[in-house]
Amino acid sequence: MLDALSALVTETVGDAARGWDVAGEIPLDVLRGLGAKGVLCAEAHPEFGGLGLSGTDNGALTAHTGALCSSLRSVMTSQGMAAWTVRRFGDKAQRVEYLGRLTDGELAAVAFSEPGAGSDLAAMSTRIRRDGGEIVVDGTKTWITVAAYADWIVVFGRYEGGGAVALVPATAPGVKVTRVPDPLGCRAAGHATVELDGVRLPEEHLLAVTGLPVVMMTTIALTYGRLSVAWGCVGILRACVEAVARHAGQREQFGKPLLQHQLVARHLAELYAAERTATFACEQASRAWDTGSPEQVPASVLAKHVAAGNAARGAASALQVLASSAATGGHVVERAYRDAKLMEVIEGSNEICQLILAEHAASTAG
Amino acid sequence: MTDSTTQLPVAVIEKQIGEFLLAKTKMTWEPEVDLFASGVVSSLFAMELVVFVESTFGVAVEGADLAIDNFRTVRVMSALVTRLRGGGDGA
Repeated sequence: MLDALSALVTETVGDAARGWDVAGEIPLDVLRGLGAKGVLCAEAHPEFGGLGLSGTDNGALTAHTGALCSSLRSVMTSQGMAAWTVRRFGDKAQRVEYLGRLTDGELAAVAFSEPGAGSDLAAMSTRIRRDGGEIVVDGTKTWITVAAYADWIVVFGRYEGGGAVALVPATAPGVKVTRVPDPLGCRAAGHATVELDGVRLPEEHLLAVTGLPVVMMTTIALTYGRLSVAWGCVGILRACVEAVARHAGQREQFGKPLLQHQLVARHLAELYAAERTATFACEQASRAWDTGSPEQVPASVLAKHVAAGNAARGAASALQVLASSAATGGHVVERAYRDAKLMEVIEGSNEICQLILAEHAASTAG
Repeated sequence: MTDSTTQLPVAVIEKQIGEFLLAKTKMTWEPEVDLFASGVVSSLFAMELVVFVESTFGVAVEGADLAIDNFRTVRVMSALVTRLRGGGDGA
């Protein structure tokens, strides 16, 4: 199934990734088409209409997509994280309802960050409250991937003494979605600000698990998101390895191929090492995810941290080798350079990952 | 993973949870001590605890059961496991 899904993504993207990046938009029917085939959240279980891919296979699919188009891969990360959030926090009826929708062409954004709560998600101020048989959602969410395309905004907020998650239709009264103009990377991933002003919804829109500490809830959702971003970074690295290997093998300067210049060869060697180590970190985390090992939690942070850093350094090095031939808008390596930098910022910045890993290492050492 | 169709004595459940906590925190936890009041337990670790309970005892902690109060002490975790495995008082 993985091969067929990868082929479907390859065929769907075709040679359009550059154009999508330059335009800052992926055609909605492309996203809905992939969504309706279950590709965007491929781990969703068949009983809910999903494809039931293992985490390891979904990781491979995510890397494959990331090598072609990081914007599409971002959509996949968002949809997969939304599906995982519903799976983890929803009751049976909510899983049937929403996972059915998410595997049938409807699109979802996951909203954590706010103007005053980026790395410090515990400072989140969006409020979800009950009012009779309804819930009311108030707050502002910033830099929400996919929000510009989304049918559903999966909103994390404060609720009574802890946190909760509301599934907010993007068309509900009181919801205002404003695109982020000219994002640095993943330019066609539909980043937007989402303002929620007294949004009233039937209480069925509140996922069943409520009251856990906000950061515990975001950690659970982000474990999926981090692993998905990590695999996406592996894809970025693979695209860079391929571009550098081809270019350095063909282009000649000073009477010989670039690859025979040792300083250039070193770039390729380091890029290859970066791709391999990121892959190993991701495979390890996905195995832990698939076997239900608690190790999945720190392993996902490690994979994200290793893969994002490697991708940012690797893409910069690839651009150095390709030089002027890649220094134009939308070129695969130019996109990699911008997209990879953004990966060091989102889903836990380098520094947040470092803090988590330091705490983990300290507690493991005892 | 443990076969969820068989009864597990409370003492066995508490011992397995205790061993996991010891391995992770390098501390021994009395059954009634609040893990979260200690400041030792991070959000990351709280999620590891949920995954551990589910995979070790073959249960799914879902809906209202996925609450911090069900993970606060070794004893309440053990009660949750017993209930989800179909034993105990079914509360």
